[in-house]
Order: sequence, then structure tokens, then C-alpha cells
Amino acid sequence: MSKVQQLEIKNKYTGELIETVPADTPETVRKKIKKVHENQHLLREMDFFERAQLLSKFASKLRFKKKQLQDLVVAEGGLPIKYSEWELNIVMNGFKFCDWYYQFLEEKSLTSIEGEQLARIRYIPHGLATCISPRNTPISLPLYQLGANYLVGNGSIVKPSTACPLTMLEAYSLMEEIDLPALDALDLVIAPGEWAVDEFLKSPLVKTIMTITASHTAKDILVRYGRFLKKTVDKSMGVAMYTQPFKHFFFECAGNDAGIVMDDINLEQVAKWNVMASFTNSGQQCFSMKRIIVHQDIYDEYTECLIKEIENLKYGDPTDPDVDIGPLGSRRILMMMEVMVEDVKKYNAKIFTGGEKIDTGEDYGLFYKPTLVEIKPELCEDLPKAPFLWREEAFGPVRSITKAKNMNDAIRLANASNYGMRAVVYSSNLENIEIFKNELEAANIYINARPMLVDITVSLGGIKDSAYPAGCKYYPQELVYGKYIYDGTPLNLEKIK
Amino acid sequence: MLEEELTSQIIDKESYKTEIARKYTSFLAQYPEIFSDLIIGSNFDFALYESIDEYDKESPVDIFNVYRNRNGIELKPGRAINSDLELALSVDAVKKLIQTKTKVEYAELLGSFYDDPDEKKGWIDFALHKRTQTLIDMGYGKFAQTAGILKDDDDIYSI
Repeated sequence: MSKVQQLEIKNKYTGELIETVPADTPETVRKKIKKVHENQHLLREMDFFERAQLLSKFASKLRFKKKQLQDLVVAEGGLPIKYSEWELNIVMNGFKFCDWYYQFLEEKSLTSIEGEQLARIRYIPHGLATCISPRNTPISLPLYQLGANYLVGNGSIVKPSTACPLTMLEAYSLMEEIDLPALDALDLVIAPGEWAVDEFLKSPLVKTIMTITASHTAKDILVRYGRFLKKTVDKSMGVAMYTQPFKHFFFECAGNDAGIVMDDINLEQVAKWNVMASFTNSGQQCFSMKRIIVHQDIYDEYTECLIKEIENLKYGDPTDPDVDIGPLGSRRILMMMEVMVEDVKKYNAKIFTGGEKIDTGEDYGLFYKPTLVEIKPELCEDLPKAPFLWREEAFGPVRSITKAKNMNDAIRLANASNYGMRAVVYSSNLENIEIFKNELEAANIYINARPMLVDITVSLGGIKDSAYPAGCKYYPQELVYGKYIYDGTPLNLEKIK
Repeated sequence: MLEEELTSQIIDKESYKTEIARKYTSFLAQYPEIFSDLIIGSNFDFALYESIDEYDKESPVDIFNVYRNRNGIELKPGRAINSDLELALSVDAVKKLIQTKTKVEYAELLGSFYDDPDEKKGWIDFALHKRTQTLIDMGYGKFAQTAGILKDDDDIYSI
């Protein structure tokens, strides 16, 4: 088991050491779990609106520190400064207006056929949640995890990526600075993912494991859970009985979003949005438009527009306000992009633009040029044999473009995937739009939408390998369970006295 | 159909504690159309603070309320009993806002104080007194866009 004492956090562009932070050990993780569990009641002593108001106030404080947080996001995450604005705004707006989520948690009264209202559904927080966050969003997702748990009344521990924990540490310090009530029911763990997950799986105090990670990593967590459960088996009664209760798993995973461009749109406008949807944060986004599917009648012309827009993207120093593409978050991402492009070459795919890396030979300043690759539709027929770039998530700036014969063919291609986070459509045909809404297999459908919406209503979630459990979702919804309460007292009190 | 022109009414102008609040109400009275998206009966407080510390202590130097009535807006000194929200502004921000020459310039500057708050240059913030959904239904989301506080997505991020 790895027991790293210190973590050196480096600037993703320059390689300079930003800060050295102490890492947790299995012992300190266990202590934190215990502390959070013991203090969880502090959250429950406040009602939803008190907690919402405190988070809203915290959002104001975050905004006053925005510049400092932005600089950290850029330095440790490598996110371009222009994108870091979005990263911070989405979480600050989410916190500022977090009482909006009450609509999903409000107790519901049920009316029986006889017209009586004796039954209710009440929403109860699951209990201590441990959350694992990805590297591509140094603050928005980990802070959302922490905030959503606080909002519903769960104690929580968030493990930000060890590649970029500083922004979250800063956010947590700010919570300490303003003396956020019930802060002892929240904590951060700075530790490598694998053994931190094992500690979370082993602890009976942990009720929920919430991760935002690659689908394969999420499945690996389930495998580890299975192994752990196996060790707890008791056969003293002659049959296998597992002594540990179920945990609640909540996974937000990979996306391989299709973006359909039909023949009835303004090519230049849609190409601009397409580039934003595909290459934001250097394509290191789960909800990025990764498989571009274009109607055959505009395919050549649209591809030309798209190439022009892609080649206009500026890559380099993420602190430069004009830079669109910052350094990649890790050498592994660079390697994945290379593997995907090399693999697609075996299928005689045409590389329209990009296809080159910039490798400093170090673990910083790594770039892959924004790349557009043609994948022939016939290669997508048999999914297990399709190029990696089609069937797996390209978590970097490499995108595929594929020709569709018509609307039905576009839908077929879009659905030919193991993933189903989002699907995007650009079309001006109102009848077709309704068909797209019904037929596309994804948890979130965006029709003629500008990318990168900053709105409280923006949902997460996915179907297939993109999320577990399946469906569009808001975090607070997933952190509570419904309790059915039938109270027959008004009808039967006299009878049972 | 022509939109009805909205009017402004400043009530009890002499009762303001500070000159800056008096000037700001006169300034806002020029642009009642900023408040046109709010439903009739909505009202919120403009609270002026010397510093973020004073804001934390909820101790404004002056405060006035804007009430959306049938004809336009009514501005009166003091805090309303049941205001929908409080728009907090630093005195430095207000000093700059009242120097703007057009409604567009005003909205841009107000938005910048929200986006990039700075103790020295100026800042604004708001505290909600009612539920977000209620405020959205009252037109505050649209108002925030018109007033420059909530930006269009294209303004927030574009490649």
C-alpha cells in the first residue's frame, strides 16, 4: 500500500513547483471518516433552507476570491484562463441558488383512490458520503460533491485529484475562514485514489461512494467491493452470508457524446459552436461533443468550416487570455491521444487536421494539436471492431467526423455507442427535432443549444456506461432516499385504542 | 403594440442618510425600464457598504428600496419589511456607476463588479430573501440579465 508523505503539485504548463502538500495516510483517512461521521448530526440540526443559505453566503465569499482561485485552477489544472471563468461560474451559481434543488427533495403527499392523504414520501439523507473527483475540474465537480452533500445533510469526504488538489484545499480553507457551521461534518482527503477507495469501501460508516471517473475505473471499484465483500462472508449458518451491508454507489462516468449536424443549418454558426463543444478544456470533458455526425449533403462544406475553426484555435500558455487549448493534464492523456490516432490510421482514416503532439519529455507542457479524423460510417457498424476513437472516450483534443445518409442514419450512428451521457443536435426542421428527442439514446439531449451553458437547470448523469444509476440527475437527488410513510392514525386511532 | 413607458418616483428624497445614496436613486430613476421584467409588487433593497467587513456585519451606510408598481418604479429610503432580496453594493462601486453615461455602460459596469469583485475597485453581491424559484417566477432572472448581473453564456465563455 502506498503511503506517500508529501505531494508536489506542479504547474501543468511550466513545471514549476506550486506547493508541497502533506498527503493523508490510511490512518488519517480513517480518523477523518470517524470525525465526519460523529459530526454529521450538526448538519441535520439545521433545516434545508438554513444549509442552503449558508452555501449561498459561501458562494459570495468564493466570488470575492475568484481571481486567486482562477489562478490556481490555471496553474495546477492547466485549464485556459478563459475556460476557468466558466469552471468557477458554474459552481458559484450552483451554490448561490442551491435552494432551487428543494423541488427534488420536498416531501410529497399522496392521495389515495378514496381521496385520503395518509401516505407521504419523505426524503432522507443516505449518510456519510465519500466522493472521488477527477483531474479535469479542479474545483467545480469536487466542490459540487461537497456542497450537494452539505445541502441534503450528509457528512462527506471529498478526495480531489492528487494532480490538482490546491484549489479545493483553498476552498476548504475559505470555509474554515468564514467558520462555516457544521464544517466538522465535511473534510478532504489528499491521497492516491486506489487505496483511498479501499478505505472508503472498508468503512462501515461510509454509506455512499460517489465518483466522477472513467467508466472502467468505476467498474473496477465494484470489482474491489466484490472482493472486499467476499472477505466478510460468514458461513457459520451453513450458507454464505455477507456481514457488510450494501453501500450506495453513485457513478458519473465517461461520455462519448454524438453531435448531429443536419443539412438545414447555418454552417458557419454551428461550426463555431461545434468547436467550442468539442475542444473546450482541450477536449478533457466528459460531456464534450466527441463523435461529430454530419448529413452527407453538407458534409464536405461543413468539414471545411470545421477545419477552419479548429485551426483558429490557439494553444499554449493557459494564462494567456487568448489561448483556447491549454496543456494536457497528464502524460497518460497524451499517450491515449497518440494510441487513438495511430489506431484509427490502421483503418485508413483521413486526418483532416492535427495529429501531432508537443512533448517536452517532462510531465508538464504536454500538448496534442486539436485533431479532426474522418471515420467512415461502415467502421461503426460492429462496435467491438470499431476504431478506439469511435468506441471509447477520447479525453483530449481528438475528435471524429462521420457522414450520415439521413436523419435515421444519423440517429443509428449516434446510438452506436456504449455511452449515453449527452447527445447534441443542430437542425431547423421542427418535425425532425421531435424524432431526435425521442430516438437518441442519452440521458441529456441538447437541441440547437449553445455549448457551455451556465444554468442551474443543467443536469448531469447518463445512461449505458456513462452513469450509474442511469438517467439525468442532479446530485442532491441521488444523495437521499425516499421513505414511504403511511399514517392511518386519523382513520384508525379509535379502533386501536 | 407599443410598450408602455415606465415612470420613476422618488419618495422622501431628503430622508437619505448619505449623499451617495441620494445621487444613486436619482441616477436609477433615469432608467425605470431596467426593472420592466419584474412583476408588479416586487421590491428589493439596495444596500450600500463601505467595505466587505461591513457587509459581513450587515451594517450598510445607507439603504433604499425599489418597488415595482403598475406605472414603473418607486424608490424610497430605508429597508422594506418584506423585500425579495438585497442588492449589496460597495460605495466605491456606486461612485463609479453613477458616472456612467448610458444604460448599456451602466449594465456593463455593474456586471463587472459582480464578475470581478474587488475591495478597492468596487463590488456588488446579493442576498436572497425568498426562494430562488419564487424570484425566477417574479422576473428577477431576466432582471439580472438586463441589469448586467447575470451574463449571457456567450459572454461568459467563447472560443
